[in-house]
Amino acid sequence: MTMVATARQAKPGAVARFTVFARRNPTIVLGAALLAAMAVIAFVAPWIAGDAQLMAPINRLRPPSAEFWFGTDHLGRDVYARSVYGARISLIVGLSVAFVSVAVGLAIGLAAGYYRRLDGFVMRIMDGLMAIPAILLAIALVSLNKASIGIVIVAITIPEVPRVVRLVRSVVLTTREQPFIEAAVGGGSRDLKIIARHILPSTIAPLIVQATYITASAILIEAALSFLGAGVPPEIPTWGNMIAASRLYLAGAPWSIFFPGAALALVVLAVNLMGDGLRDRLDPRLARRM
Amino acid sequence: MIAYIVRRLLSMLPVMAVVALFVFLLLHLAPGDPAAIIAGDNATPANIDAIRKALGLDEPLWKQFLVWVASLLRGDLGRSIFWGDPVTTLIAQRAQPTASLALTTILVAVIIAIALGVTAAARAGTLLDRSVMAFAVMGFSVPVFVVGYVLIFVFAIQLRWLPVQGYTPLAEGVLPWLRNLTLPSIALGMAYVALIARITRATMLDVLAEDYMRTARAKGVAPRPMLLKHALKNAAVPIVTVIGIGIALLIGGVVITETVFNIPGIGRLVVDAIARRDYPIIQGVIIMFSGLYVLVNLLVDLSYTLLDPRIRY
Amino acid sequence: MIRITRRTALQTGLAAGAVIAAPSIVRAQAKPSPAKTVRCVLHGDIPTYDPIWTTANMAAYHGGMVYDTLFGIDAKQQPQPQMVGKYGISDDKLTYTFELRDGLKWSDGTPVTTADVIPSLKRWAARDGGGQHMMQRVKDISAKDAKTFSIVLKERYGLVLDVLAKTSTSVCFIMRKKEAETDPMQKVTEVVGSGPFTMNLQETKPGTQYVYDRNPNYVPRKEPPSGISGGKVVKLDRVIFINMPDAQTAVAALQAGEIDFYEVPPTDLLPQLEGDKNIKIEVLNSLGNVGYIRPNFLHPPFNNVKARQALLYLVNQSDHMKASFGNSKYARTTHSLFGMGTPMENDANIGWFKGGVNYEKAKQLFKEGGYDGRPVLLMQATNIAIMSNASQLLAQELRKAGVNVKLEAMDWSNVVQRRSSKAAPDAGGWNIFITWGGGTATGNPILLAAHSASGDSAWFGWPKDEKHETLRNKWAVAATEAERKAIAREIQQNAWDFVPMLYYGQWVQPAAMRANIKNMLPVPEIIPWWNVEKV
Repeated sequence: MTMVATARQAKPGAVARFTVFARRNPTIVLGAALLAAMAVIAFVAPWIAGDAQLMAPINRLRPPSAEFWFGTDHLGRDVYARSVYGARISLIVGLSVAFVSVAVGLAIGLAAGYYRRLDGFVMRIMDGLMAIPAILLAIALVSLNKASIGIVIVAITIPEVPRVVRLVRSVVLTTREQPFIEAAVGGGSRDLKIIARHILPSTIAPLIVQATYITASAILIEAALSFLGAGVPPEIPTWGNMIAASRLYLAGAPWSIFFPGAALALVVLAVNLMGDGLRDRLDPRLARRM
Repeated sequence: MIAYIVRRLLSMLPVMAVVALFVFLLLHLAPGDPAAIIAGDNATPANIDAIRKALGLDEPLWKQFLVWVASLLRGDLGRSIFWGDPVTTLIAQRAQPTASLALTTILVAVIIAIALGVTAAARAGTLLDRSVMAFAVMGFSVPVFVVGYVLIFVFAIQLRWLPVQGYTPLAEGVLPWLRNLTLPSIALGMAYVALIARITRATMLDVLAEDYMRTARAKGVAPRPMLLKHALKNAAVPIVTVIGIGIALLIGGVVITETVFNIPGIGRLVVDAIARRDYPIIQGVIIMFSGLYVLVNLLVDLSYTLLDPRIRY
Repeated sequence: MIRITRRTALQTGLAAGAVIAAPSIVRAQAKPSPAKTVRCVLHGDIPTYDPIWTTANMAAYHGGMVYDTLFGIDAKQQPQPQMVGKYGISDDKLTYTFELRDGLKWSDGTPVTTADVIPSLKRWAARDGGGQHMMQRVKDISAKDAKTFSIVLKERYGLVLDVLAKTSTSVCFIMRKKEAETDPMQKVTEVVGSGPFTMNLQETKPGTQYVYDRNPNYVPRKEPPSGISGGKVVKLDRVIFINMPDAQTAVAALQAGEIDFYEVPPTDLLPQLEGDKNIKIEVLNSLGNVGYIRPNFLHPPFNNVKARQALLYLVNQSDHMKASFGNSKYARTTHSLFGMGTPMENDANIGWFKGGVNYEKAKQLFKEGGYDGRPVLLMQATNIAIMSNASQLLAQELRKAGVNVKLEAMDWSNVVQRRSSKAAPDAGGWNIFITWGGGTATGNPILLAAHSASGDSAWFGWPKDEKHETLRNKWAVAATEAERKAIAREIQQNAWDFVPMLYYGQWVQPAAMRANIKNMLPVPEIIPWWNVEKV
């Protein structure tokens, strides 16, 4: 008798807990839901969309219709298919930049924060990188080499790394002074173990928040780079380069800008909502600093 | 204190050295040949080689770098490969439009953002708070050039209230100067509203908390001066952050806005220079702005000591 | 006691105001009136003030304002004297004698003499393709006196006057002795000419605006203007070239009246302008531009003639034109090596064109040419719309014909740099690149560098064919137009067999201007601002 009663109690608990969480943190849930929806669309792109690259000039600049749900662009390509595939590339660019900049920034920040002798040298280099205006660095990197998704990701990542390093370093500096670190050092623990077990965990929360902002910012910077002729090659659709390539048609064929634009705005909004919500939840003190 | 200032000034040197080396390598190791671009489409390979030689572009890289650093230390940023004008002259010609745009953009962004941030903080945690912050985020979710084109279409072409493009120097009148800067400031300002609104909201939350604390302390022992310092301390962060944003603005968002609205500023100068591989301009502008950024950082850090006497270096 | 009445205060105030305002009033009078100032946006920025240093057309636009030429082409593309008054050709056709006309002055008032003309000619010929071609046949250029000089040839050459009169870059502008004696490998930095305008260096800001004022010392010819020949009568006070690269902004500025003239409105935006009664659309360059596809002769697959012939069967010109120009009446297909509408246009050997696109035939030809499936590197200039569109379409067409295309996106500057590499495509070289050239220039077998097939010393792509070169030289010495046309037929007959390059279409770029701009002279490759009125 008692066992059945307890079993029935366990299942509603999970759902109930989620509902409570959702009510208390609507922004995180809403943001995450939107983002997840976009990710799913990006994943199933080949099944729900046609050819994103087929050019048929005879069909150019057609308004939305049964055949072309979102209309066509100036080369006769299907805006719907390109928007759906664009989700893939835009999200890949955004998430890659976030991942790489956090990974690299974490490594450098940990080293600089923990080892005093590295600190000065590394921070001077980071200061130097941060002093260079980000968008100029990005344009120069892409223009001066050949355009590709990889180069664009690298170009957007490089200016983001110093900011992550700063963040990680400040966390390491505060955590390093804690008594338990001294105890660990005194106890003979190896550096790597101390860093991994005691310092790293405190960096996770602010890094996640930072990563969400970087994702949104990266997708937008890609659009800016495309406008200036230094984005992902135009054959491969991203929301950013679709908008940039169609900018002459704002008045004449607004659908070619509206659909990728709305998708881009939606994802940036979703990511920001998630970021704001996570930040408020994980560390209210950060709200002051950021 | 003096020792700190001297130390910080000296530490600028390695930072600038990093910037210089990075920028130089970035440009010269990559493909792209200003000689070929100057020569034009119908030119023969022999012509292009001649131009390259005349410009000194066929010297080994390390030699070109040393020549450049030597002139940098003399304050000579070199001459444009295309026009032959000194880079410092070109920057000086273009400084006013960019500075004006940055100034008016910060004003627009700050005014809108403070209004939004205060509203959100007053009703913190409610739907209004979330909606207002979401609205702020919308401002930078749409790329600046799209906002720019829409503004031009609505306000300059349809309504004819404002000019489409261009820049009128301040010397020709404050009103014309403002008229040309209105649409670009709004387009670019929207992108920064979210950032500033966030900081305002956070600061306001702090101040509101202090009020409760003040009430509590009023019942106990609470020295007035301490409160003033708290207010200043809270205000210092956003003020100083806004200044930092201002400097970042100078190049970051301004590049696109200057292209859309045809403002003859430094952003346009350097973007056009990148397309043409006019190395001296690219190098000169980046060095100048990096130097400015580092200097401003130093001043900002120093200002913290004035704003909060507890901070001592 | 002085009573300060409201009246005296007002009077004093007005007087004071007048004093303070006076400098700006004076300034206003010294400035040319907006009613006679034209603000124009052209197709690019001026890269340098030295017209022989670059073949970019903007340098010729600049040069045409401040300099003058010995001869100039008229509306029928025939060379007419401009700075030259009387001239004669000896019976054996080897000596050309020229006499400068009266009234030629530099902007500082000093007269133009043969001491200026001869070094100018030599300096220009050192850099210009057409000039070099002529100089190979020149024995001597010498002055008889301050006004007369002669060119003595080693052998007959029918193009002397054409080359001096052409508007294709580099144009033969005449400079002062001082500037003309500058090493052709160094840039001329001072801008002093004898043309209808002078350059206002105070108001000019490089990269932003270039200001030209009417030259009051210029004495125009008496004849009516035709092409760039005839009388260059300036009816404006000032012309400002404004650098505005964003097309959307330029069109909007034209609609708002902030600029008076825009040379290159995108075809897709023309409907927006056509409805506006304050704006008119005019075609100034009726021969327009031709899009070029250049294959690389040095590396497989296009080192084999069959593979190049395959290209002729897979380029759908009407698709290419639609992609960039919609259903515009301004774009068309072109089957002649010398472009359509040019004097040398002909229809020799155009079976490939008449039969239309044939992917099966193209595949067959690639096979016969020994194409082994290796990647074909096609360079795409992403920042120039027409080239970017054409590259993407060509890649699609090549893929339909079974070619493994590697579409490499880069900006135009990188294309320009990479195309000069003779290395293999996977070692920094290339297989195909796309560009375009002027219709008039394309119509001339000698003056267009791209028409040379001399192999290693030819233009990028390095086509090689002896028969082509022999025929070109024959064309250069032809005595009559009829002879030239016949030789042009032969050249084309041979060319569509060995395929030095091919075209993706021909288009005309109409200019848009405010309705009160009148009497623009239609001239290819240069925009003259004399004769133009703003009513």
